[in-house]
Amino acid sequence: MNEVQGATKESRAAVAGRVRTVGQPQPLIDGVEKVTGRALYTADLPAAQALTGVVLRSPVAHGEIVRIDTARARALPGVRAVITGADCDVAYGILPIAHNEFPLARGKVRYWGEAVAAVAADDARIASEALELIEVEYRSLPVYITAAAARAAGAVPLHADKPDNIEREVSHAFGDVDGGFASADLVREQSFHYAEVAHAQMEPDCALAEFDPERGRLTLHSVTQVPFYVHLTLAQCLKMDPAAIRVVKPFVGGGFGHRTETLPFEIIAALLARAAGGTVKVELSREQTFTVHRARPETDIRLRIGMKRSGEITATDAEVVQRGGAYAGYGIVTILYAGALINALYRTSAVRYRGYRVYANTPPCGPMRGHGSVDMRHAFETMLDSMAGELGLDPFAVRRANLITPPYRTINDLQVNSYGLPECLDWVEQASGWKQRKGKLSPGRGLGMACSHYVSGAAKPVHWTGEPHATVNLRLDFDGSITLLTGAADIGQGSSTLLAQVAAEALGIGLQRFRVIAADSALTPKDNGSYSSRVSFMVGNAALAAGKELRKHLVDAAARRLETSAEDIECLGETYRVVGSDRAISYREAVRAALAETGPITVKGTYSVPEELQGGKFRGAGVGPSPGFSYAAQVVEVSVDQETGEVNVENVWVAHDCGFAINPLSVEGQVQGAVWMGMGQATGEETQFHDNGLPVRANFLDYRVPTIVESPPIHVKIVESRDPNGPFGAKEASEASLAGFLPAFTSAVAEATGIRVSTLPLTSDRVLDAIHARRRSERLKRARAGS
Amino acid sequence: MQVLNGFVLRRPASIAEAAALLADPGARALAGGTDLLANLRHGLDRPATLVDLTGLAGLDKLDWADTGVAIGAIVTVARLARDPRVIAELPALAQAARSIAGPGHRSAATVGGNLCLDTRCVYYNQSEAWRRSNGYCLKREGDVCHVAPQGTRCHAAYSGDLAPVLLALDAQAEIASPAGGRRSPLGELYRDDGAQHLTLGRGEFVIAVHVPAPAPGVRMAYRKSRPRGAIDFPLAGVAVALAASDGRIESLRVALSGTNTHPRLLEGTGELAGQAIDNALFARLGKLVQKQVSPMRTTVTPANYRRQVASALAQRLVKELAGVS
Repeated sequence: MNEVQGATKESRAAVAGRVRTVGQPQPLIDGVEKVTGRALYTADLPAAQALTGVVLRSPVAHGEIVRIDTARARALPGVRAVITGADCDVAYGILPIAHNEFPLARGKVRYWGEAVAAVAADDARIASEALELIEVEYRSLPVYITAAAARAAGAVPLHADKPDNIEREVSHAFGDVDGGFASADLVREQSFHYAEVAHAQMEPDCALAEFDPERGRLTLHSVTQVPFYVHLTLAQCLKMDPAAIRVVKPFVGGGFGHRTETLPFEIIAALLARAAGGTVKVELSREQTFTVHRARPETDIRLRIGMKRSGEITATDAEVVQRGGAYAGYGIVTILYAGALINALYRTSAVRYRGYRVYANTPPCGPMRGHGSVDMRHAFETMLDSMAGELGLDPFAVRRANLITPPYRTINDLQVNSYGLPECLDWVEQASGWKQRKGKLSPGRGLGMACSHYVSGAAKPVHWTGEPHATVNLRLDFDGSITLLTGAADIGQGSSTLLAQVAAEALGIGLQRFRVIAADSALTPKDNGSYSSRVSFMVGNAALAAGKELRKHLVDAAARRLETSAEDIECLGETYRVVGSDRAISYREAVRAALAETGPITVKGTYSVPEELQGGKFRGAGVGPSPGFSYAAQVVEVSVDQETGEVNVENVWVAHDCGFAINPLSVEGQVQGAVWMGMGQATGEETQFHDNGLPVRANFLDYRVPTIVESPPIHVKIVESRDPNGPFGAKEASEASLAGFLPAFTSAVAEATGIRVSTLPLTSDRVLDAIHARRRSERLKRARAGS
Repeated sequence: MQVLNGFVLRRPASIAEAAALLADPGARALAGGTDLLANLRHGLDRPATLVDLTGLAGLDKLDWADTGVAIGAIVTVARLARDPRVIAELPALAQAARSIAGPGHRSAATVGGNLCLDTRCVYYNQSEAWRRSNGYCLKREGDVCHVAPQGTRCHAAYSGDLAPVLLALDAQAEIASPAGGRRSPLGELYRDDGAQHLTLGRGEFVIAVHVPAPAPGVRMAYRKSRPRGAIDFPLAGVAVALAASDGRIESLRVALSGTNTHPRLLEGTGELAGQAIDNALFARLGKLVQKQVSPMRTTVTPANYRRQVASALAQRLVKELAGVS
C-alpha cells in the first residue's frame, strides 16, 4: 500500500519519438542476477587456487605488543605466508591529515579484535591451526570503553600525538548567539545519550587478492564502496606503483558507510597474496565484520535552544561528545557534520557548537547513513516539539515558523538552492490525518512528526586532486550498443541503473541499448566512490554530460549524412531528422555515419561542484557544503503495550524531496530503507562492550535489527523541487529520511505514554522502566496530595 | 570463519544402534542441527562423532489415540506448527512451534532438538576467540560464571519454546537408552543447572513425547516476549492450561521458559482452584511468577525486565483464556 507520486503528467509525457527513461519506474538493471542468485559477490568468485587467509586478532583491548613469534606457524606444512605488523610500516587512514592505523598492529593494540598477524594456508583448517601456533605476548594497558573514561585526568593516551585522547575538538560560533538567547521568549536545555549502532549490512566482509609474482602485479576484488581509495591505500601500504594494481568491485551486499574507507582486511589480503606469491581469500565472520565496525559512534549531546513565542528559533548552543573508537577514520568529518548540519534544514541565525571526538578502546567508528546528522537531529527535533508544546504551538507550526526560502546561504556558508520541505510537511500532515487525529487517539497510541535533511555529496572530496568530482565514459561501437563506464560503486542502491537512465535520456533511446560496467580500475574512469549520497548528483551530472557529448557526435554525423547543419538536426532517439521535414536517418545509420569518420567512439562527461557551492573558508568549512540538500518530513504512529513496554510502529508517512526522481521505483525503496534503518536505531539496535572491551552484541541475535514482522506500512511521497544544479533537478534520495524517524518515533511514544525519553534505543525494557517510574511518581503525588 | 572440527557422521538404522553409538562420550545426537551446528561453529563442543537420528523409522510420527498423542522426536517444528489436529486440539503447542526462530529453522528443527536445546548465555554463545579472551566460563572450559562470579553454578538460561507447553499439559518423555528405554514426566528430563540441564544418561536420547488428551474444558495458550517478532529466543515464554467455570478456576497449570536454567512448571497454582478470576487472583498469580522465575544477566535484555514480563504475560494469558477483558 505504498504510494509514489511523481511529477506532473506533462513532464512525464514522452516527446514524440524519443524514449523517456528518467522519471520512469525502472527495475534495477542488475536485479535479475540478484533475484535468480546468479550474481557473484566477492565470496562467490571462482578462485579454485585461492589460499585461505585468516587473521589473528588481539585478545586484549589495549596493550603493548612485547613479542611476536611466528616461527612455529611458518613451519607448519601447508602454511604459505605468515605476516605481522613488521610487514607493513605505512600508516593509513581515509583522511590525509589523519593516518594512524596499520593493517596489522605495530607495537600496540587499541581494541579487542584488532588484527595482529595473518596467515595464508592451503586450507581453512591448516590456517586455523597456524594461528594457534603464533605466540604473542602483551603488556596490558587500562581499557577505556567510554569517552568519559578516556578523557579522565591521567588516562593513558591511545595515540602519542593526542595526550588527552581527544582526536579533534571543534569550536564554531556563527551569528550573535548570546544576543539570540537574550531575545528569546523561551530557552530550554536538555541532554541526550545515543548508543553506538552498526551498519549490519547483509554481506560479511571479504576480499580476494591475486598477486602475480612474475610481473609484480596485484588484483584485488573486494566488497568496497570506494575502489579508488582502496587502490590508493594499497599502493601506499604495499609501496607499489598504482599502475601495477587493479581493484574490482563485484556485486556488493550493502554498505551503508561500512565500506567507505580502505579496511584492514583488504590490505591484509593483498599483503598475504604478495607474501605467498599467489591468490588469497580472506572471509570474515559476522563477529569480525562487526569488529571492523566504522559506524555511528556512541554520542552525548547537550543542546540549548532559544525560541520566540511565534516558534522562531533565535539561537542554538550544542555540545557533542563522540566516542570515536581506536583510530581516526572519518572521525573528524563526523564531528564536523554534527555541527554543520544543525543548519540548512531551518533558518538559523545564531549557532554555537562544540564538538569532541574522543579515542577509546572500541572498534573505530566511521560514516553511517545520515553521517553525523542523525543523533543531533533527534535532539534538535525533540526539543522543538517539547518547546512548541510549552508555547502552545502545534509541532507542524513550529517547523513552519522556521522555513527557508531558497536561494539561501546559511550562517556557515551552506548554499540551499531548492527546498521542498513545505510540500513535504503539507503532505505528511494531510496523509496521516494529523489535524483530525493528533491528541485524540485511543490510550496507548501516539503520533509524532519530525523533519530531516542531508547532503547530495560533499562539495569537497576527501582527496583533493584538482580533477573533476566525477567522470563517466560512454563507448559506442559498430553494434550500436553503448557501454557506460563508471567508477561509481553500485552497492545495491541502484546507481548503475540510474546512470544508464540519465545517459539514455540524453540520447532519447531505451536502456536495451545500454550496458554498464562499474568499478573496475582496469576499465572504468576513477570515481571517488559511493558515499555521502554523491553519486546521483555528481556522477549523474557526469553521465548527462557524456550523453550530450555522444549525442553531439551522432547529430553531427547525421547532419553530414543529410547534408545540412547540426542545428537543423533533431535527435528523436531512434531517428535523427531534419527539423520540419520527413528527411531522417535511423539511429543505426547515424552510428555508422559517426564511426565511419572516426572509428569506435569513446566520449567523456565530467562534473565539478561550482565554486560558490563549495562553502566557506573557516577551519572545518570543508565538511557540510554540498551542491544540493535533500529534505524529508515524516509522521510516525505507534502503539505501546503498557504492561510489557513493547512499542509497535503502526504506520509511517514520509515525504522526501529528492529534487527529481530519476527512478521513482528506486527512490521509493531507498526512502523506505532509510526509514526502516532509522527504526532500527530508534527501537533496538545498539552495540555494547564489556569493561574489558569485548563486544557483547557482535552477532545478529543480540544486535537487534528489526525483522519484516516489525516493518510497518511506509507510505512514501516523492516531492520534486527541481534543484537548479542536479541532473534533471535530482538530489539525493536515500539518507535524509533516516534521521527524522527517530524524533518522530520518540514523540509518538511520548504521546502514547506521557514519557519523553532522552536515550536511544528505546527498547521494551526501557519503556517499561519509564512507565513504572511514571506510575511511582504519580502515586507519590497522589499520596502527597492526600496527606 | 571458524571451521567445524573434524567428526565422523554416523547414520544408525535402529534406535538400539543409535543408543549404542551415543554411549560413546565423544558422540552427540544430531537431528535438525539448528542449535548444535551453530554451537560447533563457535567451538562450544568438539564431538568426535555425530549420530544422525533423522533416518530412524517411527520417530517422525504424530500418533493420535483417545488418551492423547505421541509426538516423535524428529517431527519437525514446522510440521507441528501447521498440523491441523495439533492446531485444533493442542493450540498452545502449535503457537509455540510457530514462534520458534524463523521459517528456515523450523523446517529443519525437530521436537526432540527443541526439548534438548542447549542453555544460552551472552558469555557462552560467543566465538572461541571471544571466550578465550574472557577466560572461558563455568559452562565450558572455565571455572567462573561471569553472570554471578561469586557463585559456583551456571545460570545459562533454557530457551526452548515447546517444553513449557508440554509441561503445562503434563506430558511425558519417552527416552531410549542402551538398556532399553523409559518413560518419565517431562519435568524430570531437566535439572536446575545451566551447565548440565538435561538428566539424560550416557547413550540416552528422547524418542517421543506423550501428551495426554486435555480434560474437557481446558483452554490453553503460549506467548513469548522477545525483542523482535521473529527469530528470537524467548526473554520469557509462558504456557497456560486453564479450566474455569462460573468465573472461578477449576484447574490451572502455568509453565515458563527463558527465565531459568530449565523449563519451569509454576508451583502453587493448585491452591488457586476455586478462586474467583478477578484482579486479586491476577495479582496472586503475578507474584507467584515473580517469585519463582530467576532470570539472571544471561541476555543483553535486563533480567528484571524478563521477570516483569513473565508475570505480565502469565496474567494476560489467564485473562484471555478466561474471557476476562
